Parts: sequence; C-alpha cells; structure tokens
Amino acid sequence: MRLTPGAAREIDLDRVDLFDLDLYTSGDPHPIWDVMRAEAPLHHQVLPDGREFWSVTRYDDVCAVLGDHRRFTSERGTVVTHLGEDDVAAGKLMTSTDPPRHTQVRRAIGARLTARAVASWQDRIREAIVRFLEPALDGGTFDLAEKAHRLPMIVAGPLLGIPERDWDELVQLTAMVTAPSDPHFRHGSEAATLAISHHELVTYVTEWVKRRRIAGGEDGSLLDHLMTVKAGDAPLTDEEIALDGYSILLGANVTTPHTVSGTVHALIERPEQFAKVQADPSLVPSLVEEGLRWTSAACNFMRYAVDDTEIGGGTIPARGAVVAWIGSANRDESQFTDPHQFDVTRRENRHVAFGFGPHYCIGGPLARQTLRIFFEELLGRFGSIELDGEPQHLRSYFIAGMTHLPIVAQKRTTP
Amino acid sequence: MESLPRIHERGGQDETSEGRAAPTSAPTALVREIAALWGEYLDGREVAADDDFFAIGGNSLIGIKIIDRVSQDYGVALSVRGFYLAQTPARVAELIEQERART
Repeated sequence: MRLTPGAAREIDLDRVDLFDLDLYTSGDPHPIWDVMRAEAPLHHQVLPDGREFWSVTRYDDVCAVLGDHRRFTSERGTVVTHLGEDDVAAGKLMTSTDPPRHTQVRRAIGARLTARAVASWQDRIREAIVRFLEPALDGGTFDLAEKAHRLPMIVAGPLLGIPERDWDELVQLTAMVTAPSDPHFRHGSEAATLAISHHELVTYVTEWVKRRRIAGGEDGSLLDHLMTVKAGDAPLTDEEIALDGYSILLGANVTTPHTVSGTVHALIERPEQFAKVQADPSLVPSLVEEGLRWTSAACNFMRYAVDDTEIGGGTIPARGAVVAWIGSANRDESQFTDPHQFDVTRRENRHVAFGFGPHYCIGGPLARQTLRIFFEELLGRFGSIELDGEPQHLRSYFIAGMTHLPIVAQKRTTP
Repeated sequence: MESLPRIHERGGQDETSEGRAAPTSAPTALVREIAALWGEYLDGREVAADDDFFAIGGNSLIGIKIIDRVSQDYGVALSVRGFYLAQTPARVAELIEQERART
C-alpha cells in the first residue's frame, strides 16, 4: 500500500471494502482511514460471503481494543486472514491466549528478549548487517525489498538456533502465512497456501525440538530456551513450544523487512530528511521510530468482543470481530502533528507499530536494535539512494509491505 | 455441536483457485475410505469424494493428523504440499495410488 497518501478523494463509507486486496497492492488506504476516523470511528463491514467485522481506526480506540483482554479476547483468533474461523491454537499459542496464562508464558519467554538481553548481540548483528549492505554498493541495481526478506534470518537465525541452510525455506514459509494471496508466495488457493505454510513451520519447530532432545545439553539459543523455560512452575508443552516457536519466527520474519523498505523508500522520496539524519547521526533512533510509525508493517490485529461493547460511538455485539487498524492509529491527527508528514525529528512519537497492551511485540527491543544498527550502517556508507524502478507492494491486508524496491546507491565520500 | 454455518465456510474458491473437477482414476473403495478417514477428524461429518478440505472445516492441525494416519494405514508418505493442493478425497486417493505404484 502507498505510505504517502495521494490526493484526497470522495469516499463512500458504505461501499468501502477493507478486504479488497487491490487496495493494498495498488491502492491508497490512508485517505479512507482518514475519513473513517473523522466520520465513522466504529465502522461495520459485511463481506459477500456473510462474514462481518467492525473496525476501529482512532488511536485511543485501537489502544482500548488491544489493551483490554477482558472486553476483547484474543482466544478466538487475532489475524484477519482467519476471520470467522475459531482459532485452532487458542490457549496454546501465546498470541491467541489471554491473561493469566498468557502472562506466565510471556514473562518466561520475554526474559531473553529484553533490551538488556539483546544488547549483548549488537556486535554480531552489526557484522551481519554490514555483510548484507555490501552488495548494494557495487554500483548496480539492488532490490532492497526482495533482499530484506532474508534480513531477519541473517540477524535472528543464529540467536534462534536455526542453521543457515534452512533460512531461505523459512523466509518463504513465513511470507506465505502473511500474504497467501500474493503471487510471489501463493501455492494453489489462499487456503492451501496457509495450510501448507502453517503445517511446514510447525513441523519444522517440532522436528527441531526432537533433534535437540536427542542431542542433549543446551546451545543457548532462543528455541532452546523455549524447551527449558518454566511457565507457572511447569515447562511448556511440546505443542506450546512448536506454536510459540512458529510465532516467534513469524513475528521476526514478516515485519522487520517491510519496516526497512518502507523507511528507506520514505527517505528516497524526501532527500532533505535523508540529508538531515545523515548530518546528525544522533537522529537515528528517532528515524527508526518514525519509520516504524510510518510503515506500520503489522497493519492491524483482530479481537472478538466478549459482550456487547461500546466503543467509537457505537456498539460491537457480543462475539463480534473487531479489527484494530494500527496503520490508521499511527496517522491519527489527535495524537500526531501533521501525521502524514515523515519527520525524522518527530518528538514524543508514541506510535503503536509494536501493538499495545499485553500482546505488545515480544521482539520489539530486538527489532529496534536491529533497525538502529541498520540505519547507522546505511547512513554511514551510503551517500545517496535513488529509485531504479517501480516499487511493488505486498498483496495483503494484514501486513503493509513491499515485494520490490529497486534502488541504486552511491558510496558516501564525505565523513 | 451446531453445524457449521455455510457463510463461514471458505474453501479454495477464492480469487486464486483454479477450476478442478476432473474425474478420478483412483478405485472407488479407496476414495470412500479416505473420505471416511477425513470425517473422523472433522467431527464425524459425511464427506463426499469431491468435498474441498478447507470448505468443510479442514485446517493444518487436522491435516497433520490425517497425513500421519495415511502414512500409518497405507504405508505411503504423502507430501504436505501434495495433500493440501489435492484438496479432495478423490485426489488424495489418486496421490496414494501414485505413491504405491512408485514403490
């Protein structure tokens, strides 16, 4: 989807189709969300097959939906691709589990992913990023979006304990989960693509655990940690390990690449912002936050209302699905001054790109650190970046991303 | 348990599916067995030879169990992709026949 909105246009809220994949591949959702925030902060849509969902688009409402598990449960599914099907992994997969069980598992796994814990990985991450960027400077076209799909595995593969020979396959499988309709990743129908990728990812982690059990000992990796950690006085079940391992792989692989591409694209479109942050590297952390807000790679998450629930000036009926549009919340003018301006000096950037509340992204500190190092290295090495072809957007209403971003970069010559 | 509401059923008939209704070459008895096996994992519902796995409530956790059972009961290893792309009992029966012929 376009991250820089085009000209304002007439929007008929009764006819808006938020499940129209073309809207995200070649369209422009931001002007629609702008009107929804202003005129229909609780929006209702019925799909042709009868499934229906409510949408909240304002910052405060998005935080309320994501932050209050008592009113909005995660245990019937959280991803819009599965709207209307009860989650088969409810209560076992961390993202599909409400507190109190969620809190126990989350605390146990999260201990290895705090900002302090991930700081010890900085040097290894920097080496991996430098290697990743090198080919972009040999003068030819570098498709950043295509290459960036591999970036999370390059960074997190060794930390997770996944051997390099498996990275490409896992990157392919996680992309299939999040964009089962994108021609780059589709196998047969959307449903078949989802089933194949779920099945093979869960099987991958299950086999990994089996091999580690036979080998014995500990290898210090994050997946190893899942096998040994105790949540509520007991180890995780094998099913929980397989599903949470799957979830961690997914969370790492499908969001960071798009934040990288979306941020670089914003800088290409705005050479003055590029120059500003290059002249003052202390702006890199705020560039990273602005890139997260701007891109909002996880475009939305879904919850189900437990009872009839009032929000956004209307009522969601009990058991109704509600989609919290993170991409819209991060452009809410009541929270962000000039929300459609990309500003590397933005202050008090309280974006919700990592979500909000109990399910706030567990990999957030690692993603932040990775992005900070990525842009430190990119700005230190690249003197300029230009587009060398049309960017292409991911065919997905769940992940706002890119499949192609061809660039040509010049080496930085000034210190 | 209440029956699955039709409106929530979603099979391979989305924008990406290709028409597939070719007659099967697998023996009718085998097709029936496979349909019955699916039924066991789908709350005992009646499954027809050409029912779409996803349209009748199939998902990957059910698929994992069915693929395991097929390999135990018939001694053939179905590929994950083969199974989900086949999508109907008739076509899965064909896959089993092909695998048997190969070994």
